[in-house]
Amino acid sequence: MAQNVNPFLEEQSSNAPKDGDILKRPQNDGHAVTKRLHKELMTLMMSADKSISAFPDGENFFSWIGTITGPKDSVYENLKFKLSFHFPNSYPYTAPIVKFITPCFHPNVDTSGNICLDILKDKWSALYDVRTVLLSIQALLGEPNVDSPLNALAAETWSKKDEYKKHVMGTYKDV
Amino acid sequence: MEETADYKKIWTLCEKIFPILNDFNTPCNDEEPFLKNDFEEMCYFMKLNGLQDLLQHLVFNKIEKRLRDEVVPEFWSNFKKSDKKGFKPFYNAIKSLYDNYRKFETIIIRLELLRQATDIKVNPYNERNLHEALKLILHSCLLGQLQADYQTVTTSFYEAALKIEDIDETNVNAVCVECSEEKDNCNCVHFFQETNRKIGEMGFLEPLVGQTLTNLSYNYILNHIQKTCKDNYDSFISGLEKWLHTVVITCLKKIYYFDSTLSLNESMEMFEKKLVNYLYNSYTKVRIDQLFNIVIEYPESLPALEDIRLCLPRTDLKPLLTKKLQRAMETRLLHPGVSTTDILTAYVATIRSLKVLDPSGLLLETVTYPIHQYLRSREDTVRCVVSSLTEEGPNDLAEELNRAEPVDENTPIDDEDENWESWTPDPVEPNPTKKPSKDVGINRRNVDIISMLVNIYGSKELFVNEYRTLLADRLLSQYTCDTEKEIRYLELLKLRFGDSHLHFCEVMLKDIADSKRINQRIKEDSEYDENNIQLSTMIVSQQFWPPFKEEKLELHDTVLKQMEDFTKAFETLKGSRTLCWKNHLGIVNMEIALNDRTLNLSVSPVHATIIMHFQDKSVWELEELSKVMQCPPTILRRKIGFWLSHGILTEIKTDVFSVQEETESQTVTQEDFYVEEFESESAMASAQDQKEEELQNIWSYINGMLMNLDSLSLERIHHMLKMFAFQGPTTECTQSELKMFLSRKVRERLLIYSNGLYQLPK
Repeated sequence: MAQNVNPFLEEQSSNAPKDGDILKRPQNDGHAVTKRLHKELMTLMMSADKSISAFPDGENFFSWIGTITGPKDSVYENLKFKLSFHFPNSYPYTAPIVKFITPCFHPNVDTSGNICLDILKDKWSALYDVRTVLLSIQALLGEPNVDSPLNALAAETWSKKDEYKKHVMGTYKDV
Repeated sequence: MEETADYKKIWTLCEKIFPILNDFNTPCNDEEPFLKNDFEEMCYFMKLNGLQDLLQHLVFNKIEKRLRDEVVPEFWSNFKKSDKKGFKPFYNAIKSLYDNYRKFETIIIRLELLRQATDIKVNPYNERNLHEALKLILHSCLLGQLQADYQTVTTSFYEAALKIEDIDETNVNAVCVECSEEKDNCNCVHFFQETNRKIGEMGFLEPLVGQTLTNLSYNYILNHIQKTCKDNYDSFISGLEKWLHTVVITCLKKIYYFDSTLSLNESMEMFEKKLVNYLYNSYTKVRIDQLFNIVIEYPESLPALEDIRLCLPRTDLKPLLTKKLQRAMETRLLHPGVSTTDILTAYVATIRSLKVLDPSGLLLETVTYPIHQYLRSREDTVRCVVSSLTEEGPNDLAEELNRAEPVDENTPIDDEDENWESWTPDPVEPNPTKKPSKDVGINRRNVDIISMLVNIYGSKELFVNEYRTLLADRLLSQYTCDTEKEIRYLELLKLRFGDSHLHFCEVMLKDIADSKRINQRIKEDSEYDENNIQLSTMIVSQQFWPPFKEEKLELHDTVLKQMEDFTKAFETLKGSRTLCWKNHLGIVNMEIALNDRTLNLSVSPVHATIIMHFQDKSVWELEELSKVMQCPPTILRRKIGFWLSHGILTEIKTDVFSVQEETESQTVTQEDFYVEEFESESAMASAQDQKEEELQNIWSYINGMLMNLDSLSLERIHHMLKMFAFQGPTTECTQSELKMFLSRKVRERLLIYSNGLYQLPK
């Protein structure tokens, strides 16, 4: 009977679909996506990490607003950045579209908030979720990839901490 | 002067015939011979000169003056005396008044003769005849000088009279209460009747003593009713009515028999109506005052209820009834000192008894509204209802459940098939302003106790959830696999609440049965080796059982080993399933062998673990043991207390315990032992814990919401919670509950509230 299934096993299987599944059925089922997002929201709400957070922005589950706090010991420390999440119907088999809402001076973020991050592009996997995306972006703030910049000025000044910090504070606007 | 002499002579004649004309004479003298010749002469002269009207007028004036100035003040002076008690004052007053009255009567008789002889047409005061006129004058004089406290005297007179009457009935041989004479020598009854006769003859029975008599009768009736009804809930109304007719009215008839103004039937009819009405009113009032007790005594008090039902339409006391009963409920029932079970019993009794009073259920709604409100505020209401529904033994609710008709959960509660042609509007509400909201009214035509109880909360889910917790508790505390009784109740509840609501409970019962089977199978398994620890497990499905109370406890290694083996055996038996042990739940049967004694005990796992650790090492420090068992020292100390009280462990130093192998001498002071009562705690997380946990979850959601969306209104928070947070069988949080919760957070400075929006502090 269903109620006697090992709860641990069940959890594992739902969180880790086999690689083959991803290719086999890029799902279009809205209900399944909502269910998954619901679960993600729940884990996010129950987690104790206060430096990242996200919540649906209103009427539906497909667009969220996220908040990250700049990593400790970086120029972004104590700054709060808002991000917008948009989940396609094929989520989690396709990556969500993530952008900065808060203006952010960063080598891998352009002026309209687009982010250059591999896991949001070709390296996306269904194993990632909102939490891991938020954590990755938080990590990106502290360790930018200056080799493929979207913001050349930021990439150039990265090595000069004081000037870089001035730019960061000049661009940052608390929303 | 011939004429003057004539006048003088006639005047002397007149004075002789009507001595009252002479102020200096005694009012009138019966002894004085009535001279026919004189009279005729006077009549002739009067007729001749046309003075007869004047003479009549003059005589009446004199009578009136005398009455006003002498007789009546004298009469009332009897009432002024300080000693107003008893029989005599009134008797004497009436006696003297009556004597005077008789004297005036003789004058009137002479006047009548005069009228006949001289053809007087004029009637004084437009009365029918002179006697009536005399009475009128007497009445007006009497009442004109009425004493403010004359009723004290009349009352004491009639009280005494009634007392005599009463004694007549009850105590034949007693002496008269008034004159303390032997019954046979006593003239009191005679005096009494004489007085009444005199008053009646003078025609002022009703004006003078009517009110007194009414008051006295009222008091008498009220006393009688109170005496009869005290602590007795039989039906009395017909008996009382009969009593009224045989005792009170008969007694009044004796008095009114002498009334000369009205016929006996007429006056008695009025009086009777008044008294019967009063009887009904007072009886109903007395019953209403007792109504709370009557309700509680139901069904023993059914006759009294029937009485009230009969009386209510004849009186106007429904609003009083509602008010009084509500008040009584509030003061006697709805306060913290009364246990919820008692309130529920009273509530059921109220439903049943008010149904007798008012089958439409309107009265019930109004009266029980405060009970609903109150029960809603009690936390254990649902639990009490559910447990009494399924309790053993004589119990109103359980009976009600057994009587239950199947409820089809798909049809709305409204009686839609009710014939519209036979529909009648609700009777006029006794107190329309207090009418509760419509949703309570749905069941108006079908007052079903269980639905009414369920309706207190307005949701079946809550009830079912509570039942689930209760069932879980019972199943787990029984440690037997006998579920027959539970299955029976479940079936009954299914009839009432529908299958789908109780699916979880069904699975729970099945788990118990399955556990028994699985245990059996594993024990037969050749690979599973049952050492000296026999395990018998209760395997429950996580998803279907209510959450357990969590408690951390590390068991003793030997037990753990056995449990691991059991898990392995289970896994091989059930494929992809495993067991997740709840170490702190269950019961351990153990035999403790010490040097000088052996004990057989059934204890909780914590207690067992403690003593097992002492098996390995006979001295433990509290701190050390607490680490091994992963149990907080304070709790552990409490648990160790159990063993101390059994004299198996002893505290050799502060926080150091050792096994006591031999019983010490009996001098051990018992009060040193910390005796812990056998725990009957629920294994389930209590409703309050659950609610708290839920609110905590909600708080994380609200936090996340506000962190990302800055500021939100109450409505929006509620809406978003409904959309994103509430799931599963949790009870929803209403907007007002949410508001209270948020206000609490504002007070705790975890939230900022401004302009109707909530925000997190920066």
